[in-house]
Amino acid sequence: MDLSDSPTTRRALLGGIGTILAGGGVVYGASRLDSASSPPPDVPLYSSSETTGFGIDLQGHPVMGESNASVDMYYWSDYQCPFCRRFEQNTLPDLIENHIETGSIRFVFIEYPYLGEASMTAAVMDRCVWRTVREETPARYWEWHSAVFDAQSSSNSEWASRANLLDITREVDGIDADAVDACMRERRDDIEASIETDVQQARQYGIQGSPAFIIYNRQTNAAGQMVGAQPYERFDEAISKVRNA
Amino acid sequence: MSETPQDTHLGRFVAAMAYPFTSTARTVGTVAVAAATYCLLVLSSFPTYTMQMLGADLAYADDALLALTANTYQTIGALGLGLIVVYAVVTGIALTTAIGRVRYVGIRGARGLSSVLPGLVASGCASCGAGVLGLLGFVGALATLPFHGNLLRLGGLVLLLGYLSRIGDPRQCSIPAASGSE
Repeated sequence: MDLSDSPTTRRALLGGIGTILAGGGVVYGASRLDSASSPPPDVPLYSSSETTGFGIDLQGHPVMGESNASVDMYYWSDYQCPFCRRFEQNTLPDLIENHIETGSIRFVFIEYPYLGEASMTAAVMDRCVWRTVREETPARYWEWHSAVFDAQSSSNSEWASRANLLDITREVDGIDADAVDACMRERRDDIEASIETDVQQARQYGIQGSPAFIIYNRQTNAAGQMVGAQPYERFDEAISKVRNA
Repeated sequence: MSETPQDTHLGRFVAAMAYPFTSTARTVGTVAVAAATYCLLVLSSFPTYTMQMLGADLAYADDALLALTANTYQTIGALGLGLIVVYAVVTGIALTTAIGRVRYVGIRGARGLSSVLPGLVASGCASCGAGVLGLLGFVGALATLPFHGNLLRLGGLVLLLGYLSRIGDPRQCSIPAASGSE
C-alpha cells in the first residue's frame, strides 16, 4: 500500500481539511460577535457613604439611579473581562433605560480585578477617576468607564498599562488626567487595599468570575445572584422576582 | 519482509485519521462527538453562567454557546479557540476509532481496553483546561496561565495525536501475520 496516494491518505487529508475549516469558521464567526459602545445614560451618577442593608459599603463606588429605589443591583466587573464588555454593550443600555432611568433600581459599580496585574491597575485608576470627578462632574466617570471598555484588548497586554490608561483618560473631556496620575502615585496602596477588601467580600458571596450581580430588595432583604453577560430578559425576570419577593 | 504503513507511527496516524470517514455512519458519529465536545468545552469555561442560562430555559443554549465562543475568542485569542476546535474534532476521531477498536477487537482483546483508555483520558484532559478549573471556582484562571492555557490545550492535543498514532485503523491488526481488514 502506498501511503502517499491511497484512499486512506485522501480520507485523512479530508479530515484534516475539515478540521482546519471548522476551526477557521468558528474563529472567524467569534471575531464578528462584537457590538458598538452604549450611549451615555440620561441619569445622574453620585457618591454615597451609606452601607446598604446587604452589607455593601458604597463609599468610593459610583452609584447610578434613584437613591430611594426599592431594589439595589451590585455589579462586580473587571476592565479586562470580555464578558463584562459584552454586558456593558448589549445589556446595560436596556437596564439603564427600563430600570435605572425609571427609578426602579439603584445600580452600584464595584471593581473585581482578577485577571492579572493590569486588571488591578485599571481598577485603581477607576477609583482615582471617580475621586477626581465625583463632586463636580460625576457624569464624566461614565465617559471614562465606556472609553476603557471600548479600548479593551488582549488581557495583560499594553492596552491596560498605566501609561495607556492615562492616555485614554486624557482623551475624555472634563477629567484632569494629571490629578488621576497623582492619585495613582500617591494613593495606589490604600486603594488597592480597599479593592482587595471588596474582592474578598465578593468571594464570601460566592462570586468567582465577572460580570457578577446581586439584586437586592431593600425592603424585604430578598436577594438573588446572577453571573455572566446574560440577555436583558433574564435580568428583567430576576429584577421582577426579587422586587416581588 | 517490508514494513507496511500500519507498522509506522505516521502510517497508523493517517489510518486512524481516515477511519472515521470510511462510512457515513462513522462520519456522522465523529462530527456529532466533535460538536458535543466543542459545546462541552466552551460551555464549561464559565459553568455558573451556563447553569443559570440553561436552568432558566434550554432555549438559551445557543445564546450561551455564542456568548461563550465570543468570550473564549476574546480571552484566549484565535489560536486558543482554534486549538479548542481542533481538540474537539480530534476527540471525535479518537472516540470513533476507540469504539471501532472495541467493536473489532473486543474490550478484552489484546490491546482492547488498554488502547481505548488513553484516548478517553486524553479526551477528558481538555476539561482539565477549563471545565474542572471553572467548577472548582477558578473562573478566569486559564487567562492567567502562561500563553492563556494554550500550552495545556496543546499538551492534551499531543496526547490525543499520540494515541491516534498508536492505535491506527482499528480494523487492521498491527501484527503483520494477523493483519487484515473487514
